[in-house]
Amino acid sequence: MPSLLKVTNLCKSFTQPSGLFTTREKVAYGPVSFSIEAGQTLAVVGESGSGKSALVRTIAGVLKATSGNIFIKGEPLESLSSQQRCLSVRMIFQDPSSSLNPKMTVGKILNAPLELNTNKNATERHDKIIETLKLVGLLPDYLAFFPNMLSSVQKHQVAIARAMILDPDIILADEILTTLDISLRFKIVNLLLKIQREKGTSYIFVAHNMHLVKHMSDQIMVLHQGKIIEKGPTATICEHPQQEQTKYLLLTHQPDYRK
Amino acid sequence: MLINNGFNEDKIQSPLRYIWSIFKGKSIAVVAMWLMIILITTSILSPWFMPHSPLTQDPESMLLPPYWAKGGNINHILGTDDLGRDTLSRLFQGLQFTLGGALTITFFVAFLGMVIGAGAALTKGVKASVLHHLLDALLAIPSLLSALILITIFGPSYTNCLIAIGLSLLPQFIRASYIVIEQELSKQYIVALQLDGATKTRLFRYGILPNILEPTITILNRLFTMSIIEIATLGFLGFGAQLPQTELGSLIANSMELIYLSPWLVTFPGLAIFLVIVIVNIFAEGLRHAVIEGEE
Repeated sequence: MPSLLKVTNLCKSFTQPSGLFTTREKVAYGPVSFSIEAGQTLAVVGESGSGKSALVRTIAGVLKATSGNIFIKGEPLESLSSQQRCLSVRMIFQDPSSSLNPKMTVGKILNAPLELNTNKNATERHDKIIETLKLVGLLPDYLAFFPNMLSSVQKHQVAIARAMILDPDIILADEILTTLDISLRFKIVNLLLKIQREKGTSYIFVAHNMHLVKHMSDQIMVLHQGKIIEKGPTATICEHPQQEQTKYLLLTHQPDYRK
Repeated sequence: MLINNGFNEDKIQSPLRYIWSIFKGKSIAVVAMWLMIILITTSILSPWFMPHSPLTQDPESMLLPPYWAKGGNINHILGTDDLGRDTLSRLFQGLQFTLGGALTITFFVAFLGMVIGAGAALTKGVKASVLHHLLDALLAIPSLLSALILITIFGPSYTNCLIAIGLSLLPQFIRASYIVIEQELSKQYIVALQLDGATKTRLFRYGILPNILEPTITILNRLFTMSIIEIATLGFLGFGAQLPQTELGSLIANSMELIYLSPWLVTFPGLAIFLVIVIVNIFAEGLRHAVIEGEE
């Protein structure tokens, strides 16, 4: 049984102009190898500029990897059609207020992925949209609303609904929790955990807050300057960090009043 | 019916309706809009309600001043020219040609320019370079000069004048729409739609087009204003509408030698060009501000 997602020696570098005619390769991350099983959560942590976002965006298909392979259920990602890819990997963008089209109703926003990637007819699509809205805790009323009428947490719920509507195996979340304030953040965290319990979805998420990482993830991967410096089960890494960088990351989120 | 009517409305207002409701609150812009509608309809319908044909010559009443000036005649409200033709009728015919021509140019150039600009922005590689950089070279030539060059090739006539102006304004419009679409492409909701596997046409229709309203109004307004000025300029130089057609620019040119005898003949067409441009700009600016407020 091949693992759900397997990444081997994935590399991404950007070419930057350094002189008049010369270019320089700037490595965003890599080579990176890891794998994830169904229903698991992998947290990608690291300081800014360590290539976390680029890695997640490559798996989502926004960026193209320079070298290396991504396998989904044993099949290389390049061999999958864009529909198959959408049905197995979906991404939640960082800021839902800019990732939802302001001129579209919530219903149309959720309809687009279904229409493009499945063979469902209009009534089946409508039923699926209602079902997904219920899953993320929104009323069917919201179908006719425009994104600017929603609060920030409702926008997050719609963004999660858009990712969940195709029942994907893996959801990629790129720092989605940073823009929310603390109480609403837990609402979204609990929603994500509830979805995981119900649907058995795997998450790969980028986060800064180590408490949340501890709470949500099964595995932690620490990136530093594009390389994996530490990888393992959450409990092991949080209790016995081996690397200097990991210790710093854990320290920054240990307020004094807890001691 | 809504279960939870938090917004206290029967129907949810679409962004376009909201923009329209803001626009309705801007009285000056609404007045400009009505003036524009009145100008266009009256200039189209003028042959049916004007008492004088713009071509009837009347040797009894030549070079009459407007009716409020000394020696004026109420039969000719804005006076007559050196052949006794009614100035108001000629003005409306001129408006018909200038305004109609500018609207036609704006419509066709906007359509073609949007298609080519979108093609350049949404494709990559050779196709994009050809569409985009080849036309950049044409931007080096001022549009009026390229219109003049084209009209000397085609030969002077009203239709050729419209074609020449349209072609000379096209590169600017393509450039502007290309930049607008290019900026829109980097937005996150476009990336999300691309990831869903949307085709280019779907991306353009649902993702880009509804969100580029404000810059599009600006470039359309500029296109319309430029085409009015260029039609009038080519008409003034004698390359545009040929007799017996009259057009605002050629009206001014025809009356130039009479400027000391009857300055009215030059004043009215000039005022008409000025007013049309001011009205259109006030309308477009009001609309643009309504869009900006509506999108906030």
